[in-house]
Amino acid sequence: MTGMSTFLRGHRWLVTLLALLVLVVVNAVLQPNLFTGTVLKSNLTVFLPLVLVAIGQTYVVLAGDIDLSVGAIIALVNVVTVTVIAAIGNGVGAVLLGLLAGVLTGMACGLFNGFLVAVMRFQPIVTTFATGIIFSGLALRVLPTAGLPVPTPYWRTYAGSLLGLPVTLWILAATLLLVALLSWRPFLTHLAAVGGSRTGAFQTGLPVARIRIQGYVLAGLFSAFASLCLTGETASGDPLMGRMLALSSISAVVLGGTALAGGSGSALGSVLGALVLGMIGNVIFFAGLPFEYQTLVQGLITLAALAGGVLMAGRQRW
Amino acid sequence: MPPALKAQGITKRFDAVVALSDGALTVERGEIHALLGANGCGKSTLCKIIAGTVLRDGGSVEVDGAPLEPKRPADAEAAGIALFYQELSLVPQLTVAENIFLGHEPRTRAGFIDRRTLEDDAGRLLGPFKVVAGSGLDLHMPVAHLAPDQRQIVEILKVLARRPRLIIFDEATAALDRRQVEFFFRMLRELKAQSIAMIFISHRLDEVFEICDRITVMRNGATVATYPAAETDVNRVVHAMVGAMTEHLHPPQVERPANEQPRLVVDRARGRRLRDVSLTLRPGEILGLGGLQGQGQSALLRGLFGADSLDSGRVNLDGASLRLRKPADAVHHGIAYVSGDRGRDAALHGRSIFENIAAASFIRERRFLVWPSRLAERFRQAAAALNTKYVGLEAPIGSLSGGNQQKIFIARWLATRPAVLLLDDPTKGIDLAAKADFFDLVQHLAAEGTSILFYSSEDAELLGLCNRILVFNGGTIAAELSGSTMTALHLTRAAYGDAA
Repeated sequence: MTGMSTFLRGHRWLVTLLALLVLVVVNAVLQPNLFTGTVLKSNLTVFLPLVLVAIGQTYVVLAGDIDLSVGAIIALVNVVTVTVIAAIGNGVGAVLLGLLAGVLTGMACGLFNGFLVAVMRFQPIVTTFATGIIFSGLALRVLPTAGLPVPTPYWRTYAGSLLGLPVTLWILAATLLLVALLSWRPFLTHLAAVGGSRTGAFQTGLPVARIRIQGYVLAGLFSAFASLCLTGETASGDPLMGRMLALSSISAVVLGGTALAGGSGSALGSVLGALVLGMIGNVIFFAGLPFEYQTLVQGLITLAALAGGVLMAGRQRW
Repeated sequence: MPPALKAQGITKRFDAVVALSDGALTVERGEIHALLGANGCGKSTLCKIIAGTVLRDGGSVEVDGAPLEPKRPADAEAAGIALFYQELSLVPQLTVAENIFLGHEPRTRAGFIDRRTLEDDAGRLLGPFKVVAGSGLDLHMPVAHLAPDQRQIVEILKVLARRPRLIIFDEATAALDRRQVEFFFRMLRELKAQSIAMIFISHRLDEVFEICDRITVMRNGATVATYPAAETDVNRVVHAMVGAMTEHLHPPQVERPANEQPRLVVDRARGRRLRDVSLTLRPGEILGLGGLQGQGQSALLRGLFGADSLDSGRVNLDGASLRLRKPADAVHHGIAYVSGDRGRDAALHGRSIFENIAAASFIRERRFLVWPSRLAERFRQAAAALNTKYVGLEAPIGSLSGGNQQKIFIARWLATRPAVLLLDDPTKGIDLAAKADFFDLVQHLAAEGTSILFYSSEDAELLGLCNRILVFNGGTIAAELSGSTMTALHLTRAAYGDAA
């Protein structure tokens, strides 16, 4: 029993993988055409933004911080991108410049968060809650109402295929490759060290503040990716885009076995967590339950994952 | 050749507290140099200044003749300095190998971690220690799962992995057993032959005389003397360390009549670290718990406070049987607890001194609403009895020094007038003057009838303060010392079992 729980503590994402498989089976029973190309592709399109944000959130949480502003970053990146594209003139070059502007915006937001938290030493939850409001405000300033469609090549490419496979699948593959590259770098170990023991990391001589900032910049970067995907799906600007994604990303991170206290976890686990959350939505839809249940069930599952983590870690009385 | 390290006139203040008034230390190449002094004398601060984790206010540091102005640990490291941390610098979630090379991971040409080299190198460092490390010290094991001595070995390896030219070992042997220490010393002698300079801090004087070439003694933030180890002895060094404070450590004994009703009776208590512990505590008695660290003394005290559960055994207070399931049960019955791990166990961080004192009274008296002004007078008296320097009851607890914080936690219980006071190595990390005040207070409490169970990791404290001493070994009471048997010799002999 102890051996089992020790094993699970190191591989908490296995539980998530199991849950995902169960959900896939249930979904397949409820929706017999699940494994057809079109359905898989549309599922991927729906899940991809959350997968991306959850990956970004993982890097922040690993370092023992949290980012509540990722939803607002998504909105800001979206309106900046569509505005830049419209301003330059809707050509392919304009789209590329728009994408670049979006990515830079996301990273700048992350840099701002990281500066406030790691250099100014503001409390992460409150800080990113506040910066989230600031980013939302900026998004409304840039584009007060939804609209401003993106040029056809943008959304057509996003919905299209490359070498016989959907573009969304290529994006997922590229993302996973990026995650793998990051995980092989010393940086990820340093991030976990900062989250695991900030004093230990400092005494070891790690540049703690810089590492935390880098975590936030990554969260901003992946939020920007998520936003650009959402933009490919909605094909227009929306200053209220991505509202729910901040909390869902934290749910996904928790479900993926990353400790909210920092120090241990993996981006891959968060990908699984995000997929679980997506599949829950599917199952509820195809089981014919009202849509409102989705949020409720998500909340309960996240709480269960947190409880599981606490129980597995063993209780410490003081 | 200039010395490996030359530090002169180092000063450092933390807010109002002067940690260092005149720190000085010179270490030659290939020398093992002991730095000794009572807790709080400033030796750890001096080392942290040399290693760049604390910035000095004044003075100069030269390494191999070149001035050193470290702004951060990395600067000192670049100068070849490595510090073994008393408070461990390991990250519990990372594996042994990851911890050893944290921040110095070998990389492939693409910039990725070179796992194979990392594990080979870590394995090579760990290899020699395997014989003495016990089971479970594996390269892939998260440090969180290791025993304290194993963590200490990992910490030592982490220091060595940086190939430093000057190493500061701050209590590097504290958690090691004798075999591991011998192993470690063999390693130090090899380093010495490679003309690496070492500063060795230890509370075990026999080790100091065994391994060190010279000894520098600090007292109250200043360096007082340096001796060649071969030309001095334990007595002289201890005298230099303690100075005029010795007498405070041996306050006069108060005799109690032996025929009173017992206050507290523990009958065959068993728990995670306890095997059939029985004892009787009389009113006003100070009963010492001695022995090596971690032999069940803390486990007993925490069990009696309801913080850790006892598996079996009976506890009687003034003849009535007690069930202690949580600390609140103990507090209601007038049992108080003060631990040396102030930060973890006692402090309400960021709250005022007043709130820190009041916390226990609320529970004891089942108060739900209070008038701060009425309570304040009571607490002011309690705090005044402690000879504590504080700005006002409203000041935050963090504004006090460690010793004064500890006195505040005693004051918390004074205000509840406890029947039994449990002291769990309470003087850890507080200075000698505060210690003396603290002991006066404990004796004062005992004289008023409070019974005291006192565990200390310092034998001198037990011998100086207690009416009797129970010596623990392996979770059980190995010997009881009283009267003429209360000597350091008997205490050490009982603590080490038959080995001494």
